[in-house]
Amino acid sequence: MKLFWSFTRQAFHNTVVYRVEFWIRLVSILLAMYSIRAVWQTLYTQRPDAFGLTLGQMVTYGVLGMALHAFIDTGSEWYIATQVRTGAIDTDLLKPIDFHVHMLARNLGEMLFGMGVMALPTYAIGYFVFGLQLPPDAGAAGLFALSVLLGFLVQFHLGFLLGSVAFATLDIRSIAWAYFAVISFFSGQMVPLWMFPDGLRAVAEILPLQAVYYIPMSIYIGTYSGTAAWSALGFQALWALILAGVARLAWHQVHRRLTVQGG
Amino acid sequence: MNPISLYLRLVRIAIKARMQYRADFVTGILGVIVMNVVNISLIGILVSRFADLNGWTIWEVVFLYSLWILGHSLFSLFMWHIRTLEDYLVQGTFDQFLLRPASAFVLFIGREVQYLGIADFAIGVSGMVLAYSNLRLTWGPVEWGFLVLAILAGTLIEMTLTLMISSIAFWTGRSRRANSLVMQVNVMVQYYPVDIFGAFFRVLVTSVIPVAFMNYYPALMLLGKVEHIGAWWPLAYASPVVALMMVGLAAGVWQLALRQYSSAGG
Repeated sequence: MKLFWSFTRQAFHNTVVYRVEFWIRLVSILLAMYSIRAVWQTLYTQRPDAFGLTLGQMVTYGVLGMALHAFIDTGSEWYIATQVRTGAIDTDLLKPIDFHVHMLARNLGEMLFGMGVMALPTYAIGYFVFGLQLPPDAGAAGLFALSVLLGFLVQFHLGFLLGSVAFATLDIRSIAWAYFAVISFFSGQMVPLWMFPDGLRAVAEILPLQAVYYIPMSIYIGTYSGTAAWSALGFQALWALILAGVARLAWHQVHRRLTVQGG
Repeated sequence: MNPISLYLRLVRIAIKARMQYRADFVTGILGVIVMNVVNISLIGILVSRFADLNGWTIWEVVFLYSLWILGHSLFSLFMWHIRTLEDYLVQGTFDQFLLRPASAFVLFIGREVQYLGIADFAIGVSGMVLAYSNLRLTWGPVEWGFLVLAILAGTLIEMTLTLMISSIAFWTGRSRRANSLVMQVNVMVQYYPVDIFGAFFRVLVTSVIPVAFMNYYPALMLLGKVEHIGAWWPLAYASPVVALMMVGLAAGVWQLALRQYSSAGG
């Protein structure tokens, strides 16, 4: 466990080094929040009574999607793919820790960094500048935190699986683009699932992707509460377990066949 | 050899080099197509739920998106690697362009091609065809001519903007994040009509980062919505002029950058 945290801490330090990047990222997140508010505001001016949600809730939903994106997606696939392509993966395998656990620790560190240093401050600014809302009560806030953690686990394992593809193809860029697009669509990150046409909505509700954004965000704005919130958490936990299992299995297969180029 | 035939020869070489990796080609094209279809569907869901977006119907939004991506496709096909200028500078490989008896700019710009621009182009054409028929447009030669000019202007605007931002790396060694930020502004303009944003943003994308001239302003002319911007109507025709001004500006920045360049060694 101590080893686990030392990797987590290291990832945190690596990210602190780039200060200018930090400021540019901050501006970039605020800009994204601004565009989200502009779109919803325009749409709501046309139809103020749409879907029983207030404009405030809707803007909060959209900005939250942005804020979550700033830290929940730690890009484990890029790390794995780069290590594989350059052959540096051998140094990861030499470490006295299971690769899957190592990756999980590392990405958890990056996630916590992203949350503490990027998402929370920008969200606080957004709270004052764009009039964002807070969760309805402390209980909902707690469930939201739990739900974000489960969402991270789902996202991480999907990324881990995608990264493992690099062992077969070396370059995952084009697959990753399609994957990101599909995630941002079916996870409800930008547009909540209840606005989807029926057919697409049915697909989105089966896929694990809603566990990453839609579920935590619905708990936050209060459309999921009580039993609905708990069963949504169960859905997330189930998918996190399934994907973790599949990821370990896939890694086991890959590891057995692995040959590292160069050295 | 004159610069244009030199450029064409370089592009031929770059294409040959690219064709070494054909498997990449197919997955890459599919990736770009999926990404764009998903993006446009998301906007489509929103706009159709609410009927229109500040007076822009779904097909007008598709038109904006397609016009942008047509200009962008030529950039992405032939000039995408401008964004990687910092790698050439940091690794010292930029020196190869300075050591040869030809324009460093032509040598650099002809260094690579990026086949994914083909997918962008295909998406742009399909979107444009769909929008044209669904909006029941009937253009005369003036509109068609202006469309071609607007697309070329879009390419030049994106290229000069990227060249100037990437040139920051001549001084600082880094420009990637700054490029991403500008790209983010650019994508906002691609997806949404500029008039849904506040005055600050509209001024930003009209003057400092003039990406609104890639699609929004020319679209006002091509869709007969010039009255949307009232007394500012000349902007709807201004894309080609803006593009030429940007070319002049970028040429100046490039000269300045080369003059103070000192190699990273190697």
